[in-house]
Amino acid sequence: MSDVWEECMDHGVAAARKAGEVVREALKNEGCMSVMLKSSPADLVTETDQKVESMIISSIKEKFPTHSFIGEESVAAGESSILTDNPTWIIDPIDGTTNFVHRFPFVAVSIGFAVKKELEFGVVYSCMEDKMYTARKGRGAFCNGVQLKVSGQEDITKSLIITELGSNRNPDTVRRVLANMDRLLCVPVHGIRAVGTAAVNMCLVATGGADAYYEIGIHCWDMAAAAVIVTEAGGVVMDVTGGPFDLMSRRLITASSRAIGERIAKELQAFPCERDDGKKEDQL
Amino acid sequence: MASSEENEMYSKKQWEGCMEIAVQTARTAGQVIREAFKHEKEVSTKSSPVDLVTETDRLVEDLIISSLREKYPSHRFIGEESSAAGEKCLLTDSPTWIIDPIDGTCNFIHSFPMVAVSIGFAVNKELEFGVIYHCLDENLYTARKGHGAFCNGIQLQVSKETDMSKALILTEIGAKRDPATLKIFSGNMERLLKAQVHGIRVIGSATLALCQVASGAADAYYQFGLHCWDIAAAAVIIREAGGNVIDTSGGPLDLMSRRIVAAGTVEMAHYIAQEIQTITYERDDHNAN
Repeated sequence: MSDVWEECMDHGVAAARKAGEVVREALKNEGCMSVMLKSSPADLVTETDQKVESMIISSIKEKFPTHSFIGEESVAAGESSILTDNPTWIIDPIDGTTNFVHRFPFVAVSIGFAVKKELEFGVVYSCMEDKMYTARKGRGAFCNGVQLKVSGQEDITKSLIITELGSNRNPDTVRRVLANMDRLLCVPVHGIRAVGTAAVNMCLVATGGADAYYEIGIHCWDMAAAAVIVTEAGGVVMDVTGGPFDLMSRRLITASSRAIGERIAKELQAFPCERDDGKKEDQL
Repeated sequence: MASSEENEMYSKKQWEGCMEIAVQTARTAGQVIREAFKHEKEVSTKSSPVDLVTETDRLVEDLIISSLREKYPSHRFIGEESSAAGEKCLLTDSPTWIIDPIDGTCNFIHSFPMVAVSIGFAVNKELEFGVIYHCLDENLYTARKGHGAFCNGIQLQVSKETDMSKALILTEIGAKRDPATLKIFSGNMERLLKAQVHGIRVIGSATLALCQVASGAADAYYQFGLHCWDIAAAAVIIREAGGNVIDTSGGPLDLMSRRIVAAGTVEMAHYIAQEIQTITYERDDHNAN
């Protein structure tokens, strides 16, 4: 059966691969990268982020001129991050910019695609490891052609959980982030990991290598592609309260089972984060 | 037992030969681990419900020690699983192999892809060489005292960063999960984040994290709760890459102390040592006379 979005997905994969090459080239260059700060001293951006995003968007615009875009650097430059019904590409040119700056080997290009506000496919290219994660709704998830399946773990006391400390250095936020981690460690879980990129963290859940990932403070472009990959690998995505996943909410739990996801939700205390679509709580 | 003089008589060629054997052994062990990675693992616990061990840990350690013992019958061995079985962690002047058959056992159990074999070697209580083999990526980290550090033949160089607010730091949680310990653990992270570090990462393998410091991809590593078999090889690799390994108190590294700070620069190492509060673990040589 032919897939109306197949051509888009093929283009997404090609664009991610090309972007990955650009990232790898940039890493080869000796000497310091020019690093700028965004919302905090830990929220970094480089010229490569901007270059890669332009490259991806212009290559897509050429083939699909009517499509919409939500890209991390475009949004930083003032573009809208409202998701409409129009076919929309949701792009993080470099997820793990801090890792990129340090050459810590987890850096990903993330390209998600939504139509009528439904996520249709996702591509996450972990370029330093040369691992291409892909998933098309209803057709499974893959890494370098090998099908992915979540661990299926249902027992939280046997789980390995991934999360991040985030780039918000507000002392109160930091305390809440650490308190959430402590509560999970006390359950106890087997361990907590943090590799520095939301997209790769989620893909690790999809591979079965970890049982869950949660974070408050990420953006729609960090989650869009990997959300398809995890769900197509048999996992779940949900809000940190245990309610339905909301792409613009700045937060999620993704897990190998509903049981683990809901158990994690029980331990988490959410803190406020401005939504990607700018809506206030009473507008939802 | 070999005397100091006899040990001195061993030419440097002898240690080079030992290191080549260590590399071969690490690769063979790595292959066993790679195979076992794909299958169901039977898990037991050691000192706590999160201190895990599998049959593969024991099998691989036996494999490593028996193949080394065959070639070097007069050498001594300190291994994680032998130690768990009651052998003492006593470091003498004798040539001693210090082995972690699977560093990242929890990762191994979960198929989280950061698992390494670590083989260190000491003579006259001095660390002489180290071999760490990332079993899944097949990256081989090696260093011999005075001869530089390498990953897959490419020379390693630590980061020269001295500014904490530009640092990427790695750590591990350790096996103690009681609330008092976790309070100190989180408090340490909180203090580092307050200093505006770029980020803190946790990958689940102390030896591979230390290799990231050696390669310059991370600026520092600190941990309470790791063992001499996690430190031995990595300490040589970091020093030979130009970096520093110290005790968390700021004093010299104590191999049996269960704690470490490693960094590209001495300034970074000391900043971190100053920020972190101690979590006490029983010394590795607690039962050695």
